[in-house]
Amino acid sequence: MSQATAPYIGTVPPEFRRPSRWATSWRAVTRKPGRVIGVVILLFFALMALFGPLLYPEHLPINAALLYAPPSWAHPLGTDFEGSDVLAELITGSRYVLSAAALAAVFTIGFGTVAGVVSGYFLGRTDTVIMRVTDFILTIPSFPLLIVLSTIWSFGSPIAMGLVLGLTGWGGLARAVRSQTLSLRERGFIEAARGLGLSNIHIMTREILPNIAPYIAMNLLLSVTGGIYAEVGLFFLGVIPFQANNWGVMLNLAFNNGALYTPQSLLYMISPMVCILLVTFGIVLTLDAVDEILNPRLREA
Amino acid sequence: MKSLPARLVRRILGGILMILVVASFTFFLIHMIPGNPVEAKLAQLEIAGVQPLQAQHEVQAMYGFLPHQPLDVQYVHYMWQLLHLNLGKSITYAGESVTHLLLQAMPWTVLTVTSGIIVSFVVGILAGVIIAVYRERRISNGLTLFSTFLHGIPQLILALLLAYLFTTIWRIFPYGSPYNAALHPGWNLPFLGSLAFHAILPVAAYAISSYGGWALTMKSSVISVLGDDFILASELRGLTSRIRIGYIARNAILPLFTTLTLSIGFMFGGSVFIEEIFDYRGLGYMLISATGNLDYPLMAGSFLIITTAVITANILADFLYSAIDPRIRVQ
Repeated sequence: MSQATAPYIGTVPPEFRRPSRWATSWRAVTRKPGRVIGVVILLFFALMALFGPLLYPEHLPINAALLYAPPSWAHPLGTDFEGSDVLAELITGSRYVLSAAALAAVFTIGFGTVAGVVSGYFLGRTDTVIMRVTDFILTIPSFPLLIVLSTIWSFGSPIAMGLVLGLTGWGGLARAVRSQTLSLRERGFIEAARGLGLSNIHIMTREILPNIAPYIAMNLLLSVTGGIYAEVGLFFLGVIPFQANNWGVMLNLAFNNGALYTPQSLLYMISPMVCILLVTFGIVLTLDAVDEILNPRLREA
Repeated sequence: MKSLPARLVRRILGGILMILVVASFTFFLIHMIPGNPVEAKLAQLEIAGVQPLQAQHEVQAMYGFLPHQPLDVQYVHYMWQLLHLNLGKSITYAGESVTHLLLQAMPWTVLTVTSGIIVSFVVGILAGVIIAVYRERRISNGLTLFSTFLHGIPQLILALLLAYLFTTIWRIFPYGSPYNAALHPGWNLPFLGSLAFHAILPVAAYAISSYGGWALTMKSSVISVLGDDFILASELRGLTSRIRIGYIARNAILPLFTTLTLSIGFMFGGSVFIEEIFDYRGLGYMLISATGNLDYPLMAGSFLIITTAVITANILADFLYSAIDPRIRVQ
């Protein structure tokens, strides 16, 4: 087929060619400075999580002579209660936090989308059952549930953490996806697909899913923030064993070693929180651009 | 739509069913904990020199069932004890019944969460009305930005920041206990005053964390009501703007009650952080310390009580809604 179409495309003048996905994305991002900032923040943290831990030894050195040291060239963000470098802790801690949060988002979206589409498409008894379960998940306060689950679930790896956060967090998305599916299934093209005798699986994955894809992509990004809050919270409360350094562990150690009682620990207390808020900020700003890229109606001129 | 009593009965039955499911969940959870804590406790008591019968009796008092019975018998025993509001005995607080411990913890959580919800609801609604009514002015943009910002801060970070900023960096509020330990607890003015003063930060943490949600929801709700015909009619009739805002707010507030049910769960869930950080011995604190101390009867009990509180509050909110909005009551 490439032989038949390639010469034809070659004849279309460049100004009439449909811009590539990358070009539209680039334009959407660069249109507003806020969006650029958001994408830069996210790229920065992604690189930090990927390569940052390589810069430091596995066990950070401690120095009893330098407790809560003020910022200096050797320790740009000062040191903690046992003299470890705060910046090094932040960087080495980012990998677990961000990878688990990303996985949590993927699982949340996966469960929520499947439950929502199946429920909204089949209706009837399937719908009743799935929505009952959804209501249940939404009613049970997820944080206490996660704490109780920590007695039987090992949160050691990012995958295990992401999976359990996904399992407890898909309720809201399932409800929203269901209502979108409900309105889609009344549209003509779905009726046509059904008239053509296409299978249910085909209609759900090829007809309905692409139409709710923008919404899902937005939620994927949003769920990352939820994942970060939940895992950092769990580590902060100290109900799961610490295997490695991460931002939640930092907050826990700070809280339990009296950092709350001394103003000297300001940078140590604040920096993991600032990182969490920065990631959130980056995601919110990027969402604005993603919305425009995926939603053609917002694009024009 | 059904009549109010029928709906009431249905909701309450649904709630009871949910509580039973949660109770079954905690029952099976205890069985799935690695190392079989129930049998371990029994063995530990026997090694300590307790007579076997006596040891069995003690373990049964803690968990509500015995490890060597068949699973279905254990389950029936456990549920039967729950029906009598007996949640077993705590391990760390030796000899105390879990029900008694949780009844003592409950007021701390319920009072702080309720005050947090009320404060954020009232302030959020006022802010939402201001944002929507003065849409063209600068104050509206500023408030929207501020509300969105607060909406984005997680409860944990908010509570830690409040505690750190206002008790350590600026020593405005006391830290570390829900009241001044030198005072005698009771219905006297100094004690109640100290209680209220110490509660400012935790209640603020609850309130600020949910304020943004209310303000933004109220804003969009007011904007949609502003387009209704009766608003135009009231304007044409020459009613003062204060009366008109009353008309608008009363209609716009209704959709917020559906948000209320979600908010209640969020607030009770957040109690684990806020009570840990501000050292309130409430339900969230009980849940965490019990989990940390491997006190499984107390852990299961706290979880059950927290979910029961959320389910009850949801049903109440639902009925408050139908009491306020006659449109969903009739037919």
